[in-house]
Amino acid sequence: MTVLTKVREPQDGSRTGIRGERRRRRRFRLSPALLFLAPSFLILGVFVLWPILVSFWYSLHEWTIGADDQPWVGLGNYIALTQDPKFWGALLHTVEITVISVAGIVVLGLALALALARDNLGSRIIRSAFFFPTVVSLTSIGLVWRFLLDPDLGLVGAITSALGLGNVGFLQSPQLALPTIIFVNIWKNAGFVMIILIAGLKGVPAERYEAARLDGAGSWALLRYITLPALRPTMLFGTLIMTIQSFQLFDLVYVMTGGGPLFSTDTLVTMLFREGFVNFQTGYAAAISWALFLVIVIISALQLRIFRYNDVD
Amino acid sequence: MHYKKQLAVVAVAAAVGLLATGCSGGGGTSSGPVELSVWTGFTGGDAPGYEQIVKDFNASQKRIKVTMSAEPWDTIQQKLPSAWMTGQGPDIAAPASDPNVIAQYVKTKSVLPITQTGSGDTKINVDDFAPALVDEFTYDKKLYAVPANYATLSLYYNKALFTAAGVTPPTTVAELKEAAKKLTSGGTYGLVLADNNTIQMWPVLQWLEGGDIVDSKNCSVLDSQKGQSSLKPWVDLVVNDKISPVGLTGAEADALFSAGKAAMEINGPWAAPGYKKAGIDLGIVSVPLDSAGKPVTLGSTAPLAISAKSKHPQEAQEFLAYWTGKTAQKKFSLSTGFPSLRTDLADDADLKADPVVSVFSAQVPGSRLYLPQVPNATKVDSDGYVPMIGTLTRGTPLAEGTQSATKTIDDLTGCSAK
Repeated sequence: MTVLTKVREPQDGSRTGIRGERRRRRRFRLSPALLFLAPSFLILGVFVLWPILVSFWYSLHEWTIGADDQPWVGLGNYIALTQDPKFWGALLHTVEITVISVAGIVVLGLALALALARDNLGSRIIRSAFFFPTVVSLTSIGLVWRFLLDPDLGLVGAITSALGLGNVGFLQSPQLALPTIIFVNIWKNAGFVMIILIAGLKGVPAERYEAARLDGAGSWALLRYITLPALRPTMLFGTLIMTIQSFQLFDLVYVMTGGGPLFSTDTLVTMLFREGFVNFQTGYAAAISWALFLVIVIISALQLRIFRYNDVD
Repeated sequence: MHYKKQLAVVAVAAAVGLLATGCSGGGGTSSGPVELSVWTGFTGGDAPGYEQIVKDFNASQKRIKVTMSAEPWDTIQQKLPSAWMTGQGPDIAAPASDPNVIAQYVKTKSVLPITQTGSGDTKINVDDFAPALVDEFTYDKKLYAVPANYATLSLYYNKALFTAAGVTPPTTVAELKEAAKKLTSGGTYGLVLADNNTIQMWPVLQWLEGGDIVDSKNCSVLDSQKGQSSLKPWVDLVVNDKISPVGLTGAEADALFSAGKAAMEINGPWAAPGYKKAGIDLGIVSVPLDSAGKPVTLGSTAPLAISAKSKHPQEAQEFLAYWTGKTAQKKFSLSTGFPSLRTDLADDADLKADPVVSVFSAQVPGSRLYLPQVPNATKVDSDGYVPMIGTLTRGTPLAEGTQSATKTIDDLTGCSAK
């Protein structure tokens, strides 16, 4: 019996034998699934991965589009970035926009979701009103707000004048321009977070609230111990998406202020655009894009870590 | 299984085909006219004038067909460098409204030197262009672009507001300052001044006071005694007398004038149709004489250049010869109000008789280009001059603001290394 069950040793000395040979053949056979995925991989590779790699290569050169000679500078562009006050200013503005916007969007989105979760006509109308800016392009929103905020010709200017505050140049003042852009960004995105949080709220079983109420829990306790923990995955999603979006905010800033006045709303992306497409310093612009990538990776990793810690908790 | 494999192979082939199609250039046909594409940013009130040139050229012959598209300047500036590099761009383009931008394209070898110059209708009559325009587009003794237009800035004024205030159009810089103060009252600005994303207005004010931005060695003179004294009266008028809001873009300044909330604005001929459409009782006069009694204003031109990868460089130059030719330019001036870029049209009776063209044309001899042939001129403007005006009009002391700008500008022009 022992002889019958023994695996026959192959002649060439390999240990796997016929079954191993079959497995090897299977391993090397081109899977149809891979072939079906190939078009997507190809498009992803050509239009996403390759440009990402090439941009890193550019960042190591004093790269000018079209020039014959692209001098190698190694980390020169990155060193120049650290010595460029405009870069630090743009980084600070980017972080300010992101931190304040995301906090505002999530808090306002949550408040709206809690207030408008009920399914009645009034809620539906108000929800639609808050969600509307989400589906409008940032460029259109930027243009409309720019017109509204014109100190001499806009509606807001007329209101501030009527209130005796004079013609306030919200986008002309270096002190007010950044807060104004943050405000518009919050207004634009709060509706999106509201909708996904309402969807999250619908998934919380009503029994939990009933049980908690029977145990004497008040409104605050319900929110603190039932609603917020249940919404944690949805809030993580919303926070991550809004963080990445805010870090990459371009259209709104470009249309409303162009990074001005006096670079007071310049972000990493508007700076990148200016260096790359106005000043033709592609290598330097590529270095800015990698600095932005690094910042987004660090912040995203931190967010994931924080939320995971809470989940274990 | 065979069926699945075949399907997969077809899928891959389709994807490769799709990519190949996306990457391939648009080939021309072997028969029929040569097709030339032109990209420009002429979207303002002067756009019909350029469109007419193309239309007339296409009607004048059958061998070449030109198609022109116009998009905002910043869109052109974003698309053109990579389009030209990959051979996907147009045969001809006006890369920007700023003539200094052509230096970047020369550096990247994206544009073709223009060789079909000389006299006659089929050649580009370089000798008949204003010399400053030829110099502006000449690098290493080669001409890389021709002027698409030539504009001077004039003083637009609102006749109704002038009449109400009992003010007459100013003819000297002293009168201009006085008028700006008098006309500023009750929500109306005397002289609206844009300082960013605009045709340059502040250099004109400096020139009127005898000042300048850089000297012949491209070193900043903003912090010199003369530089500071040329800025001071205008900064004071904005900060103390509020003759203009601060931090306006060109579009915002135009909107104020169009709304009848500004009595004067220094602007080019492209602005006139918009102001008339807005119902402004419009007057146009020359920019007042400077402090020495001489005429001065800003001259501005947009370059038209040929792609180094154009398959039809001869035909492209033929088209540029038509564009800059006497017939097309005269028609263009009469329809848009622009002065002619050709010196041989300076005394043309029809142009002199036109009330708008004559004002802009009369200022051509005293006009100056902005930062001509200054290294990194675009950055000198965006990183040095524009922020300086922004800080000064927001209250930064003159010495501090001009010194900071001087350092930035000298670093950019290479003056500090000399």
